[in-house]
Amino acid sequence: MASQDGPQLQQVDLTKLSLPQLTQLRQQLDQELSVFQESLQTLKIAQQKFQDSGDSLEKITPKAEGNPILVPLTGSMYVPGRIADANSVIVDVGTGYFVQKDIDGAKDYFRRKVNYVTEQMEKIQVLGLEKSKIRDAVMDVVEIKFQAQLQLQEAAAAAAAEKS
Amino acid sequence: MKSFFTMAEEVQRKMQMELDKYKQIQKEYQRAVSIRQQLDGQLSENTFVKDELDMLKPGAEVFKLIGPVLLKQSLEEAKQTVLKRMEFIKGELKRQEDLLQDLDKKQDAHRETLNKLQQQFQHMQVKAAMKA
Repeated sequence: MASQDGPQLQQVDLTKLSLPQLTQLRQQLDQELSVFQESLQTLKIAQQKFQDSGDSLEKITPKAEGNPILVPLTGSMYVPGRIADANSVIVDVGTGYFVQKDIDGAKDYFRRKVNYVTEQMEKIQVLGLEKSKIRDAVMDVVEIKFQAQLQLQEAAAAAAAEKS
Repeated sequence: MKSFFTMAEEVQRKMQMELDKYKQIQKEYQRAVSIRQQLDGQLSENTFVKDELDMLKPGAEVFKLIGPVLLKQSLEEAKQTVLKRMEFIKGELKRQEDLLQDLDKKQDAHRETLNKLQQQFQHMQVKAAMKA
């Protein structure tokens, strides 16, 4: 439902909304903003993972063939091993599928992934900026309305005091 | 005066019932939304895998993770499996989409009856106040 409200939102004159409506709108915007923040966090982690995988490929060169390595069997147990084939690696492409790629192909794969994730992050940042602008506008209107109400009350109190 | 009182009670009871139904539908709606989100994620992940498989040269080595082991699979077979999976997920997405539309309509209908009942109730209150 929130997404349906989005496009119409800009056409609504904020000053015509009541205080409770404005507060609700602000809460909704806050929620959406925190969703964006979470998504950004998740994407950042993904970006880092792809980056790390790509970087570690730099260490695998044809010269490295036969080099001893420690293979993690579990998080805390390693067995010694030897690099048998330094020309290709097996890459996890998602949903349980793994593909054998040569080093350059794998590097390219991770580069593409990092680029894709970065693109998505930029998109979300733009959206987030727009939303927070709307949020600021809502906050301003809330402040104005609140002040107006306060003045009204003060005036009423002053009038009452004058009478008595 | 007594019949008036019971009528007001009647309306109130109806309102409560409508409200319960409305809340129930809201819950269903939220569940459907989260299922759809999950399916959306699965679909995009499968699309990525398909794109990746399409880029491979024929005869490339493809493995499928089954439990703790990597099993070799032919590229053709892997492509077929992913396509079938995407087909299935798209079907499920369509189903959830329809369900959501249906729930949306139901929600609107309940909201309308609730509004009507509320107006009726307020009307009665005003009348009662005038009589008293």
